[in-house]
Amino acid sequence: MFLRMIFRALFRQKVKMLMIAFTIALGASLATAMLNVMLDVGDKVNQELKTYGANITVVPKQASVLNDIYGLGSSEESGAYLKEDELGKIKTIFWAFNIVDFAPFIDTHAKLDDGNEILLIGTWFDHHLELPTGETLNTGVTNLRSWWEITDGKWLDEQAGDKNAVMVGKVLAENEGIKAGDKIKLETRYAAEELTVAGIFDAGGDEDENIYAPMDIVQKLSDTDGLLTSIEVSALTTPDNDLARKAAKDPKSLGADDYETWYCTAYVSSICYQIQEVITDSVASPVRQVAESEGAILQKTQLLMILITILSMLGSALGISNLVTASVMERSREIGLIKAIGAHDGEISSLILTEIIITAVIGGFVGYFAGFGFAQVIGHTVFGSAVEMKVIVIPIVAILVILVTLGGSIPAIRMLLRLRPAEVLHGR
Amino acid sequence: MKKQKMFFRMITAAIIRQHSRMLVALLAIAVGATILSGLVTIYYDVPRQMGAQFRNYGANMLLLPAGDNGFDEKAVDTAKNVIKKESLVGAAPYRYESVTINEQPVIAAATDMEGAKAASPYWLINGRWPSAAGEVLVGKELANTLSVKEGGTINVIYEENVGKTSNEDSSIKKENNEGIPFTVAGILETGGSEEEYIFISLPDMAEVTGSSGRLDAVELSISATQEELKAYADKIESVDSSVSPRLVKRVTQSETTVLTKLQALVFLVTAVVLLLTMICVATTMMAVVAERRKEIGLRKALGASDSSIIAEFMGEGLMLGGVGGLLGVVFGFAFAQAVSVNVFNSSINFQPLILPATVIISVAVTGLACLLPVRSATDVDPALVLKGE
Repeated sequence: MFLRMIFRALFRQKVKMLMIAFTIALGASLATAMLNVMLDVGDKVNQELKTYGANITVVPKQASVLNDIYGLGSSEESGAYLKEDELGKIKTIFWAFNIVDFAPFIDTHAKLDDGNEILLIGTWFDHHLELPTGETLNTGVTNLRSWWEITDGKWLDEQAGDKNAVMVGKVLAENEGIKAGDKIKLETRYAAEELTVAGIFDAGGDEDENIYAPMDIVQKLSDTDGLLTSIEVSALTTPDNDLARKAAKDPKSLGADDYETWYCTAYVSSICYQIQEVITDSVASPVRQVAESEGAILQKTQLLMILITILSMLGSALGISNLVTASVMERSREIGLIKAIGAHDGEISSLILTEIIITAVIGGFVGYFAGFGFAQVIGHTVFGSAVEMKVIVIPIVAILVILVTLGGSIPAIRMLLRLRPAEVLHGR
Repeated sequence: MKKQKMFFRMITAAIIRQHSRMLVALLAIAVGATILSGLVTIYYDVPRQMGAQFRNYGANMLLLPAGDNGFDEKAVDTAKNVIKKESLVGAAPYRYESVTINEQPVIAAATDMEGAKAASPYWLINGRWPSAAGEVLVGKELANTLSVKEGGTINVIYEENVGKTSNEDSSIKKENNEGIPFTVAGILETGGSEEEYIFISLPDMAEVTGSSGRLDAVELSISATQEELKAYADKIESVDSSVSPRLVKRVTQSETTVLTKLQALVFLVTAVVLLLTMICVATTMMAVVAERRKEIGLRKALGASDSSIIAEFMGEGLMLGGVGGLLGVVFGFAFAQAVSVNVFNSSINFQPLILPATVIISVAVTGLACLLPVRSATDVDPALVLKGE
């Protein structure tokens, strides 16, 4: 009997119930979309911030960060190198998944035909790497220097077989009159090579005066087979907090619990620490310019999204409970009638509540999928990639919808129950 | 005149009489309008506020000498004149000289400490920024090499004066070839090449070298788009031809990418939230009006024309929309202000355009939402409506 009454009510008032379900669906989709986007925005923005380039540099223990432009701490003099065959290990650390890109560097001085000395840097452009784990990945400066503008020619393509090619900085190219396609001769103490210029780049920095060449050519020219002077790593990191700052000074000062928390969080300092563990005799240090700013921007964006989400959830909650209250109030005559023929208050409340909850569940269900669709639209339009589906959103939205519909209907029902059937039926 | 008065009285009476129902409608409209004005305010303010955050990356424009021999200090003033005062975050002039400390060659960068602090906010100082003459910052790497700590003292000798004595060159003061002692105020950590330098103030550098007025570079941190930066660069170059301004591509390019995406994100989110909120407001209004079918029937039975009924309901709706919209503007601004203070630690400017826009939109939405159910109610035979079918 109870069931039949509910179904009859639902069918008879289908327009009204559809409207309620529609509003609930809208509210639920809004909440779903915002929650999904909010939970994913950190990762997304973090990816975007990777265009700033590496946030960790790895150098040999004895050497300094600075190369030998100013005649200081030259690696050639100090003789400190990293080993090339250890590079793959970077992708085996605890936070391997967070390492987006990395590129090794080796630099040496070379003489051009006219005797001018330039800085020659060997690196990976778009290197295909087979990892000890069996995975493969493509990494190198093509990703790490995304801000380089190619003014002539094209990016050096390692995989297409541009083995004897180089890329020349714009300032150097202008001074020496080098164009893409030219052949230049580079000579060092150990060897000499004739190489083709694949492209001219404008980096807007010191790099504009250098020549970049594939790793093995520079190693041959500087007689440093299998050796590196530095590695640049671009990693997704969590913004620093007090624990990370304390650990960055000295990880050994932490207690066992704190150490574990720190080691298992993607702080830039813990990633540095883990890189040092796998690369022999290395010092990995965060590039503060990038690491610091990324943290700040990430935090602000997340906080902004959280606040917008709260506002929109509040808005949809009020919208839903408003409508539910209005629709329950409307049914005063029906309630009066049921009461007049002898129904108990409890029965009436459970009847109306069940109706509303069924509507809410249908609305919420539809709303969740619609909202997920909205989140995807946002993800694809803004970041060009899908927004990950977060399971936690489902219970949040479910609880929100149920609470809001109950919150909207219970006070209205209580008020209606207090009315006297005769008065209500009379139409007052 | 009388008719208008009656019309107005009917509207206000309806609102006051049915206060609980109208309160529901008003609340819905006010919430909708709050979201509208709050989000739009945030949308307009995000680029400015986020742009300021991006200045954490440091300088986005460099002034370098066009020739080989540096340029005059006046270039800083030229740049400051060209660039709008409110968008210039920091300007740090630099003069690089080779000096000798403990018999080791070191690059000394002379700068304006306040300017450097503003232009490179990511510098981490162990100790404090130099504030008085005779104080220096030492890069972390260099500090390790020289094994000095904050509070220590270093002796700085201008490289060209090493080995000379005052007898050979009378222009060199006696202390210059013995070095000038400086106190280490702090150790600088950046993770970059700056860790190899010592940073001293421009007047101190003048004392060490015995010359002044020449600069090797100026770092400018400007909150502006890439196009604006290019315009500034061209203008500076045209005013002072000894200077060649260059954009720090790594910073400008990436900033543009990320900022565009962020703005697009907030825009889309705003659009989605607004759309859904407007529909919510509309359904609530529809429900509220649909409830009053009986009243409409009664009026019709008493001889009111369809148009006068529609006009009355619309009047009510518009009034609600106006009041709700105004409330929304106030709450929305309060919300946007709260967000701004919490997220960016700065207040926002009130956008005067948002006031009329919010009111107009909320009036339009409520008006439309009322129109549909009222029209369908007026179409019906009053007898049927009154009977309750």
